Amino acid sequence: MGLIAREIERAGIPTVTISVVREASVRTPAPRNVFVPFRLGQVFGEPGAVAQQRAVLIDALGALLRLSTPGEILDLPYRWKRTVYRDPLGPA
Amino acid sequence: MAPVGGLERSWHRVLAVLYGRLPLLSARAARAWTSEESTEIPWSPARIQLREASVALVTSAGVHLKHDQRFDMENPEGDASFRAIPGDTALRDLMITHDYYDHRAADRDVNCVFPLERLRELAGARMIGRVAARFIGTMGHILGAQERRLVTETAPGIARLLVADGVDYVIAAPG
Repeated sequence: MGLIAREIERAGIPTVTISVVREASVRTPAPRNVFVPFRLGQVFGEPGAVAQQRAVLIDALGALLRLSTPGEILDLPYRWKRTVYRDPLGPA
Repeated sequence: MAPVGGLERSWHRVLAVLYGRLPLLSARAARAWTSEESTEIPWSPARIQLREASVALVTSAGVHLKHDQRFDMENPEGDASFRAIPGDTALRDLMITHDYYDHRAADRDVNCVFPLERLRELAGARMIGRVAARFIGTMGHILGAQERRLVTETAPGIARLLVADGVDYVIAAPG
């Protein structure tokens, strides 16, 4: 994913890349990296978990403006089902 | 008896479930992985407010339109091609072809890996300007000659398409 993100970034479009394997972001960093400790195959959250999916997506968008160093990793504080996700758009 | 290719694909799916459940396996694989990428990390400053921006999703989760050609699961080096996915695609028109991660959750709700509906909701709430005209689907697990193809051909092709569509920001995510 990082290789594609780098090419898009090189073409002039800012990118943010989400990862659930922090080691991969460390070894082959994309321009902007967001790490979320979720499972492979459920990077944005569980099926139907709208607030959880929105939270990850909105944090990734925020990282576009927040991260300022190439290769930087933002660690999201979520703990899968143990986090209560406050929905930024209100009840789904 | 199942053909050899079928057995191999079944084994890949078993591994995919294991990797999904045991994060240490993925971390070990990431440490062992070497690629051709250079050490220089390109950077384009973010200059546009989100509420004015066109945002595209790029996924390596093997998402594509049902009527598009499936990703090649027979080549052990993967399939470095990409599929364009219109931003207004109905979820029922999407499917996933990818044997190297457990996509049963995403088969039920593709937003788990490709949050198309969530992005549309953000556009509706004016948190972003708009959903891009086209998104991009690829499959991860790209090795050897396919990785070279990804770097020299596919990734520049994806970048050209997104630039042509006037995309301001990209969210890239794996399966």
